Amino acid sequence: MTQNSSLVTSTAAVFSKMLRLQLIATAIVVIVSLLISGMHAGLSALLGGLAVIIGAFFGSKIAQRNNKNATAVLMNLLKAEAVKVILIFVLLLIVFKVYKQLVPFALIVGLAAAALVSGAAMSKLDKTDIEI
Amino acid sequence: MDALAMIQAYTGIGIGLIIGLGAAGACIGIGIMCASFLEGAARQPEMIPQLQGKVFLLLGLIDASFIIGVGLAMMFAFANPLLSVVAK
Repeated sequence: MTQNSSLVTSTAAVFSKMLRLQLIATAIVVIVSLLISGMHAGLSALLGGLAVIIGAFFGSKIAQRNNKNATAVLMNLLKAEAVKVILIFVLLLIVFKVYKQLVPFALIVGLAAAALVSGAAMSKLDKTDIEI
Repeated sequence: MDALAMIQAYTGIGIGLIIGLGAAGACIGIGIMCASFLEGAARQPEMIPQLQGKVFLLLGLIDASFIIGVGLAMMFAFANPLLSVVAK
């Protein structure tokens, strides 16, 4: 395996680790919300977490495009972030408009957990760097 | 001015502040990080693929506060809990 392809593999591993951590965080919040406030709170937390996870998934697909030029890499990353934010905004708008029995606090907690936990994948990044 | 109109007016101002200040903070943070990335890439171009993943993760962290702010703003726009005081 060449060095470039192994680095691309490590970036993909980091993104998959990030998505896995977000799923775990969302699942924990959904279970806690279900136990505390019932079905609608659990569903609201799930929708909040899923909005971030779907946005991060499509963003990471754009961010993984391989470029050797620093400016092109940066443009890809900014495009990925723009797609992520717009997707999250649209999904949240749909949820707030369509789901009438929404529990807003549960949705915010699910959203915050999924958004904040993505940074924890930095630890995985350091490990894969060392392994290579 | 009645209580309902007051609550709606101040909520509108609050939503604007949440979105505006959140976006300003996120943009400043992203600008600083992108400048650092370009500087690092200019010094060591071979590090670009390794920095790519880190930059995306940090972009997510910087934007997390803005995304949470957007969620809170939508809550106040579509399901304002303060209006329940007037409804009683």
